[in-house]
Amino acid sequence: MAQETKVHEDKAKQEYRAVGKPVVRLDGVGKVTGHTVYADDMQLPRMLHARVLGSPYAHARIKAISTAKARVHPGVTAVISAADLPPYKKNASNRRGLIFADDEILFEGQAVAAVLADDPLVAEEALALIEVEYEPLAPVVDPIAAMAEGSPLVRSPISDVDRSEERGHVTIEVEQKEAEGKLTNVASQMNFKRGDVEAGFANADVVMENTWRSAMVHQSYIEPHSVIADYDASRDLSVWTSTQAPFYVRDELAQTLGLPENKIRVTATEVGGGFGGKICLTELLTAALAMIVRRPVKYIMSRHEDMLAATPAPQAIVELKTGMKRDGTLTAIQAKLVYDSGAFPGAPMLPGCLLVGGYYKCDNLDIQGYEVLTNKVSVGALRAPGAHNATFAIESHIDMMAAELGLDPLQVRLQNAVEEGDLLPSGQPYPRIGLRECLEAIAESEVWKRRDQAGRARQNGAAPSHRGVGLAVGGWMGGLQPASAIVCLNSDGTINVTVGSADITGTNTSFAQIVAEVLNLPLEMVNVTTGDTRTAPYAGMSAGSKTTYTVGRAVKLAAEDARRQILDIAAKRMEVSPDDLEMMDAEIRVRGAEEKSVTLRRVGRWSTNFAAPFAAVVGRGAITARNMAPGFTAQAAEVEVDPDTGEITVLGFAIAQDAGFAINPLSVAGQMQGGASQGIGIALSEEMLYDEEGRLLNGNLLDYRLPTTKDLPAIEAIIVEVPSEDGPYGARIVGEPSIVAGPAAVGNAVFDACGARLTEAPFTPERVLRALGKI
Amino acid sequence: MPKQLITLAVNNERHEVAVDPRWTLLQTIREQLRFTGSKEGCGTGDCGACSMILDGRLITSCLMLAVQADGCDIVTIEGLAENGTLHPVQRAFIDAGGVQCGFCTPGMIMAAKSLLDHDPAPTTSGIREGLAGNLCRCTGYAKIYEAVELAADRMRQATK
Repeated sequence: MAQETKVHEDKAKQEYRAVGKPVVRLDGVGKVTGHTVYADDMQLPRMLHARVLGSPYAHARIKAISTAKARVHPGVTAVISAADLPPYKKNASNRRGLIFADDEILFEGQAVAAVLADDPLVAEEALALIEVEYEPLAPVVDPIAAMAEGSPLVRSPISDVDRSEERGHVTIEVEQKEAEGKLTNVASQMNFKRGDVEAGFANADVVMENTWRSAMVHQSYIEPHSVIADYDASRDLSVWTSTQAPFYVRDELAQTLGLPENKIRVTATEVGGGFGGKICLTELLTAALAMIVRRPVKYIMSRHEDMLAATPAPQAIVELKTGMKRDGTLTAIQAKLVYDSGAFPGAPMLPGCLLVGGYYKCDNLDIQGYEVLTNKVSVGALRAPGAHNATFAIESHIDMMAAELGLDPLQVRLQNAVEEGDLLPSGQPYPRIGLRECLEAIAESEVWKRRDQAGRARQNGAAPSHRGVGLAVGGWMGGLQPASAIVCLNSDGTINVTVGSADITGTNTSFAQIVAEVLNLPLEMVNVTTGDTRTAPYAGMSAGSKTTYTVGRAVKLAAEDARRQILDIAAKRMEVSPDDLEMMDAEIRVRGAEEKSVTLRRVGRWSTNFAAPFAAVVGRGAITARNMAPGFTAQAAEVEVDPDTGEITVLGFAIAQDAGFAINPLSVAGQMQGGASQGIGIALSEEMLYDEEGRLLNGNLLDYRLPTTKDLPAIEAIIVEVPSEDGPYGARIVGEPSIVAGPAAVGNAVFDACGARLTEAPFTPERVLRALGKI
Repeated sequence: MPKQLITLAVNNERHEVAVDPRWTLLQTIREQLRFTGSKEGCGTGDCGACSMILDGRLITSCLMLAVQADGCDIVTIEGLAENGTLHPVQRAFIDAGGVQCGFCTPGMIMAAKSLLDHDPAPTTSGIREGLAGNLCRCTGYAKIYEAVELAADRMRQATK
């Protein structure tokens, strides 16, 4: 099962010793032996366990809370609700700044109170003793109904909306019209227009109009949200948390708790899966509890709590109308995208609006986005947030129009694919991108080659007759934030690298490769540490696929700075010019006179020993990232549909993705396969189901179905390399594009297999049978 | 709640522990014996992150009370490496890139080891069947399948 191949390989890469080579994760041994420490594995002296009481109602008013009985339960240390909190600075429109509900409940599971005890079971028992009197209010659950005039309101009006977390995932300046205090459930709107869509439709030979729905889904990291907080006698707050965004957590804590940022130490513990869902959630609550009781507090969400009250991904309804000429020219795209934001603003509407009109050259666009509030848990990011919903619509349409006109679905995509200089719907031009190259690569995949076989088998009436192959593209713009890194030389010649970015995808291994490349030494000599927010230089959140693209650049600069310092010391010692020196295998040599050399170890001693003649070697790299490096993908799915049960089996799946330059092809392929599997899950089975009262019906991992080994074949990964302008060695964003095309690719394959066009994801057996006209 | 005294043999070491009868085996091994390699991902037996081998059988330890394991022989992820040498399944998970976030990894490796203990040469579908009780959200399983094949190959070579 060899799954990865590479195309468009840069010939120059042969000269590299460390980057561009598959390297096993440097944190692998700790993980396979169980020694890696996750937040829940830590215990602090006198640590208390917190359990949290969530609201059973999706919309209600709290009339009274009595904690008296819970407080006297044996073993309970404290019971804390909103009334017990100091007057923190809060903004009712920003969920991250709220701890406990004090008045209006806006979604099921919203935190109302917490119990602290030495024994988590005791804390759990005492939750049942907290008495809360609720006045139930009418819940608004369906986003389309919520938009209707006369709909009950989801909540008190919002104002002063903070969109900083969304911008961490995709950083493009656009105009977003906020509701700002108005009595409406539509939190914000945006509109992108180009040309004249009516003229575009008039010019088209085929016009299609459909509505596409995709469900609310959960990131379903296997490690639930996990935090420990401690507030010590020096009034320093320490937080150990499974977060992708330590500096962002610090900033949020500082803002709400009124502490200076340098009094807070946030340590990003090993993240047991994040996928955009582990930015900032329970840190504030846990910190506030620790500050009240002056003891360390651990809060681990149960799986049920995590499904009820974290930040899942939104459902979306996309009304799409498109036109195409007989020759395959796309003439117009008109779209209305409704994203269900849940009870707080923050839905990823922008990326959906950009991508629905962002894959293909098209002169006429009219894209309207609506971010709608409902009484459900508010949503956050899931790997390319908002992108798959919009992509499902446009990529299904492209196939449908091609079929109607008798055009090849791959060719029609190649014909219209955006290239460098084409404009995003928001007006910014694309930099160099690899969408076309991905389409060319997927054409060579084993899975796509079977499309013709499947078609021929059907024509001949030969078995198997319900197999089909489909194709779709996806993409992601990426986030942009400043980044920095430090590279130090130790006295024995080994290298320490310190960064502030949480390593969620193997980025620290890639950083070690970059440093080994610049210093031309064995990878084993480089160690990379993610520091905490007091010791590490700044990095943005590990989200928006930006870590290698931004922090990797800083690491490269820091290594180059360290190299200059090392060569300077060696040059002075050897009485030559630094320009005459080269580094190789932990030695500094005079070029062309190899017998004249010093070891890196000696340079290490000369810059660290007592009364050493030289200053310590400390390389510094700091950058700001202003130019995006979008990543595109093309994916092919082969499915078999059981026409009697409506069950879909994925037989094969291939993903081609432009990584710019794969610093570590092993981890890049792993990201591609993992993201693709999540796209398949969204296509086949993942859906958070709510009843009319806004209560979650399937808040566990049995009824919320993630793909298992039984559902997934070995996914074929094809790495495409079209270098970015700014990324280290040409690397571009990697983590997110892989999830985007799954639902559309599987949907198009199902159509190819049995002629059923699925318009609502996930494609449950019931929906397949309906599309087949069988029920 | 009065504690109950039980005996557990964990990774070839005998432990006498006084346990709360409501505690699961997973809690006791993690919180009392401090073997924290086994993880709790769901607490309801759906994810497999807490997988251990008990008297030769693969179990989800979050579904078993500690008192039920009284007198049993248990192997956790910490018990696989011998004298600092990784078990072939552990080595193969690293080499094939089957490890990403690492949270499912201990349970997945225990499931893979149990599979290979019972079937040293599993087919592709045998591997997919054998790991079906363990969820991984990072890898899409592709490199995990590869890791199990690699481990099976190496273990067969070693016994030749």
